[in-house]
Amino acid sequence: MSARPDVVPVDVPWRRETASLGMWIFLATEVMFFGVLFLAYTHARLADPQGFAAASRLTHEWLGTINTAILLTSSLTMALAVRSGWAGHRALVIRLLWATAFLGAAFIAVKLVEYRLEWRDGLVPALHFTYSGPHARAVQAFFFLYFVMTGVHAVHLTIGVALVAWLALRDRDPSHPVRRRETAECLGLYWHFVDGIWIFLYPLIYLVELWR
Amino acid sequence: MNSPPPVRVYILTWLALMALLAATFTLAHFRLGAANTAVGLAIAAAKVALVGLFFMHLRRASALIAIFAVATLFWLAILFGLSGTDYATRRIAPAPWSAPEGH
Repeated sequence: MSARPDVVPVDVPWRRETASLGMWIFLATEVMFFGVLFLAYTHARLADPQGFAAASRLTHEWLGTINTAILLTSSLTMALAVRSGWAGHRALVIRLLWATAFLGAAFIAVKLVEYRLEWRDGLVPALHFTYSGPHARAVQAFFFLYFVMTGVHAVHLTIGVALVAWLALRDRDPSHPVRRRETAECLGLYWHFVDGIWIFLYPLIYLVELWR
Repeated sequence: MNSPPPVRVYILTWLALMALLAATFTLAHFRLGAANTAVGLAIAAAKVALVGLFFMHLRRASALIAIFAVATLFWLAILFGLSGTDYATRRIAPAPWSAPEGH
């Protein structure tokens, strides 16, 4: 590894913490952003619990479960990429970053398949909503929240995939290894955050009264 | 935060996450009443805790970063707490000109 002299000395001990702290503050604002959506879900669900259960039975729980497994695995490859950068294994970092981007893209592909099925079943509020069974109002509210929450999540993940792929391409250039390591670490925090949002979405969307 | 944690830690965390995913999916098939949602959310919280502690390295993070992580939960509690008291203690009084059913 050949580190070029940098404008700011790259090896000061607090530099790394400063970068991470900035990311944590950004993530705190992101938690508030998603927080209101979870609050809206809670409110709508408490207003008609049976309606939300009926709506949840219209989702494809197997696709959701597979996607959860994909995303949890992508968090593993991302965490290992950050760790490999830390340990100085550059080639491994690049491979793990590509694996992460691939898993993220796979998640989005499965999500699109799901959206297609929901469009087919007429479960898209405002655009194509044909459900007229019991609790139609709550079912519509559920799917409205479903599309907003998973949609915003998918946008976050798409940004994540693009950034991870960008970092994998940039990492082929061996200069500034320390900076790259920090970028990877901050990107890792973002990736795990997006994973964490999905971890909470999963039981709220797919598992409501699954025993029915 | 000098030497990276052993790879074993990451693999074990991932295995625990997968086991929790299998557990939450399986338990959701049993009729437990209100406990279904509680179990689902508790397992989700456990998964996020694992991701935070071992993948986001909160276990080794400085006090400053830990404070920000906890403060995030604190603000979230304010959001849910204050909005929740509003929804729980007030009734919606529709104005005479509101659409029927509107809320």
